[in-house]
Amino acid sequence: MGDEHEYIFSDEEKDILQEIMNIAFGSASADLGDVIDIYVELSTPDIQVLDVGDIPSYLIERMHFRQKETSIVAQNFWGDFKGSGILVLPNKAGRNLITVLDDDQAGLDTEPIAGQEREVLMEVGNILIGACVGKVCELLETFVTYTPPRVIHDSGNEYDSFVKSFDPSQAAIIMETVFKFQKVDINGLLFIFTNQEAIEWLRKALHNFMESYE
Amino acid sequence: MIKKILIIDDSPIARKMLKSCLPKDKGYELCEAADGEEGIRKYLEFVPDLTFMDLTMPKLDGYQAIDAIRKLDKDAIIVVSTADIQRESMSRVINAGVFSVLRKPMKSKFVQEILIRVEAEKKKRAGGE
Repeated sequence: MGDEHEYIFSDEEKDILQEIMNIAFGSASADLGDVIDIYVELSTPDIQVLDVGDIPSYLIERMHFRQKETSIVAQNFWGDFKGSGILVLPNKAGRNLITVLDDDQAGLDTEPIAGQEREVLMEVGNILIGACVGKVCELLETFVTYTPPRVIHDSGNEYDSFVKSFDPSQAAIIMETVFKFQKVDINGLLFIFTNQEAIEWLRKALHNFMESYE
Repeated sequence: MIKKILIIDDSPIARKMLKSCLPKDKGYELCEAADGEEGIRKYLEFVPDLTFMDLTMPKLDGYQAIDAIRKLDKDAIIVVSTADIQRESMSRVINAGVFSVLRKPMKSKFVQEILIRVEAEKKKRAGGE
């Protein structure tokens, strides 16, 4: 999978990116905890370089790692750092998270359950993806603009069209974090991937970031 | 006086960042470990005056390593250096008796402030003996 792209980033560059993702996801989890009463168990992020064409099969393999049916929240971002943030949660996650949010957002009671689930997933996705990408940008001294988040369930055509939407001719860097919402016992994955257009900028930004630590 | 510093962090970049924040003229003797398990082993061999500890690590995480080290040495001075700044994580490590917490990414100014506080604590302890 993506052997010809394996050397786009050196091991040291991958290590820098891994530490930046670690800092960014830690910060995003704290932001989520400020909004809803939830504790996120963190793990060490993983960095991979893949062919964009391999992303759909990679996502399918990783998403089915822990659960069969999944919900996805996707959000694109633009700037020097350009790509997508994808939050993957089990289908039951939205329903379970409603119980946590219920105290804070009583207005949700008036909506049908499917609508509430979608709202909760978008809220959590928006915070985690936005805060994580935002922190990466802060550390690398740039800024991005975002599309609104969208929820994709893997049981329908929207999922098929989502995984087919990647341009297979390019390389992508995937930053992946596995986490667990402790209070509701939900495991999830957060991917941030950036495509070939942003790779040269990213490499320079990583070296600039480390310059002050040389 | 601080002479020996142990850095326990699975990220070689985080260790490099922390080392670069330490003053170069103090002649500190440094030792590194890449996970909690190795950290405990190195703690016993190296007997540091100060230990910097990450929380999210493979094999044995920082919480477990802090407990193990404090069981071995109740006077161990441990400074947590972490990206996990959630309230619950902070209260867990403070309850575990760590000396202080540093938020990643490391900044020289804050690392050097910690070193001054640790020196003062060591003087206080030596005076009380």
